Amino acid sequence: MKSLIERIAAYTALIFLGVMGIAPFLYMFLLSTKRRIDIVVQVPPQLTFNWETFLRNYDEVLFRLGMASFIFNSAVVVGAATLIALILGVPAAYGFSRLRFRGNSGLANWILSLRFMPPIAVAVPLFLMMREIGLQNTYMGLILPYVSFSLPLVIWILIGFFDEIPRELDDAAMIDGCSRYSVIRHIMLPMVRPGLVTAALFSAIFIWNEFLVALYVIDAHSRQTISLGAATLVSAQRPIDWNIAAGVGVVTVVPILIFSMFIQRYIVRGLTAGAIK
Amino acid sequence: MPQTTQTTKAAGLSLRARSPLEILASNAMLFLPSILCLVAFAIYPLFYSARLSLTRLESAAGTPVWVGFQNYRDLMSDPQFWNAAMNSLLFVSATVSLQVLIGVGLALFFNLNLRFSWLVRSILILPMLITPLVVGVMWRALLNPEWGLINWLIEGVGLTAPNWLGSVRMGIVTLIMVEVWQWTPFVFVVVFARLQALPTDFYEAAEIDGASRYKIFRYLTLPLLMPAIAFAAVFRAVDSFRSFDLVYGLTYGGPARATTTLSFFAFQHGFQFQNYGYAAATSYVMLLILVVGTTLMFRYVNLRPEHLR
Repeated sequence: MKSLIERIAAYTALIFLGVMGIAPFLYMFLLSTKRRIDIVVQVPPQLTFNWETFLRNYDEVLFRLGMASFIFNSAVVVGAATLIALILGVPAAYGFSRLRFRGNSGLANWILSLRFMPPIAVAVPLFLMMREIGLQNTYMGLILPYVSFSLPLVIWILIGFFDEIPRELDDAAMIDGCSRYSVIRHIMLPMVRPGLVTAALFSAIFIWNEFLVALYVIDAHSRQTISLGAATLVSAQRPIDWNIAAGVGVVTVVPILIFSMFIQRYIVRGLTAGAIK
Repeated sequence: MPQTTQTTKAAGLSLRARSPLEILASNAMLFLPSILCLVAFAIYPLFYSARLSLTRLESAAGTPVWVGFQNYRDLMSDPQFWNAAMNSLLFVSATVSLQVLIGVGLALFFNLNLRFSWLVRSILILPMLITPLVVGVMWRALLNPEWGLINWLIEGVGLTAPNWLGSVRMGIVTLIMVEVWQWTPFVFVVVFARLQALPTDFYEAAEIDGASRYKIFRYLTLPLLMPAIAFAAVFRAVDSFRSFDLVYGLTYGGPARATTTLSFFAFQHGFQFQNYGYAAATSYVMLLILVVGTTLMFRYVNLRPEHLR
């Protein structure tokens, strides 16, 4: 980085990359604030903002098309499934990190390999199962499969965090008479909090974005989750009003984008779980 | 004394020694809830799917008719299955190699630690957080032949824009481009984290020895980055193979099935055509490919912490 030319080239490249990353989002937002006719007539769309059009479009997206209630459904399903996955996953991850037993790595492999399972291979059976036990069109019918989908991810991320806590700490507590459970509750949980946040975040994003299982299990409009709602509203199969389609897209991604701003450092940590070792 | 007992109780302490059996039971209880959940909602559906793949079932309310391996035989002679398989092969190999090339390049570039590069890094993380479905919709707008921004830019500099989503030849290319846009940051983030964690003393030694920049990269940086690159590549290969959302949002398999990948093929038979047995058979062929593929890849890549290998 000596010469001026090199610096200019480097910063130009940096700006180009930033634009490449953000422009599609901004373009989608801009389209969502236009009238249908403007999208076709103004090329490229003018950088003007009209409150009235904006409110009309989003009123249609959120209330007439029902995206607001889909957000609510997703919040319930994501919250419950993530919480259950953490409650189940924490002890298991702790066990994999601490216990030495025969079959330890076999069992861990088995769980982690489910991370690679194609959802399409289980979607139809899950649908038939949920129909049999009467959970079609219920939150529970989505929460149960989503817990099992995000468990491998949660366990995988948490093993890495538990591995960083020195074992001497548990040994000391156990010598003092703590059971495994109180070690986890009183000593590990406070220390592994960044791990919990990371695991919860990745589980939540995954579930928020999932729509294949929802497509089968949910056919009542009132129970649709956000991604399922978006999928039915903007499918590439049929013609759409682009201002409304863009609004649906914005509503689907904005909660995640806002969420992600607060947790940047955890994102990198979660993505690279296992890669650094 | 009662005071002390109470406080120890509150902290979850018990001073009684535990028998080996009790310890075994409490250790097993750590795993049991997770295992039960996975067996019920992942393993059992997989077996269910296997059984389904040996039957014909054409509506959810119907009863499955046992047909043996007929679905698999039909698949092998179905030209559309082979078309989907070829599309998947092209899609996975092209996206993974492009993502690795560009991702490693980006990691090296960001390793210059330019001012404001943290900001661009956080921007580049965004695409992979959002659902591929919306990514597809977003790019359908950007690439719209009549009013899309990209065609406007291309025509603005006097070139003719390709028929991104409308032609059989371009369809799969566009699909690959958009997947690369969304997921290259994953490779970048993984490789970059590794790059930043490399010990600097190697580099000092190499510089003192007078190694050229190229040689430092080729013989020092690259081998040290290899585990991270391989990790990212395996993840991308598996995920692009098994996911179908981008196809759903961007092209819906068209034009003329040019972008129908195996997972989308399975989705169409399982959902649109309600051909459950056939869809299950397709997903089992995919599972077979995944098992063979990941087993081969894991020979070269270690994903797990050392004590679990």
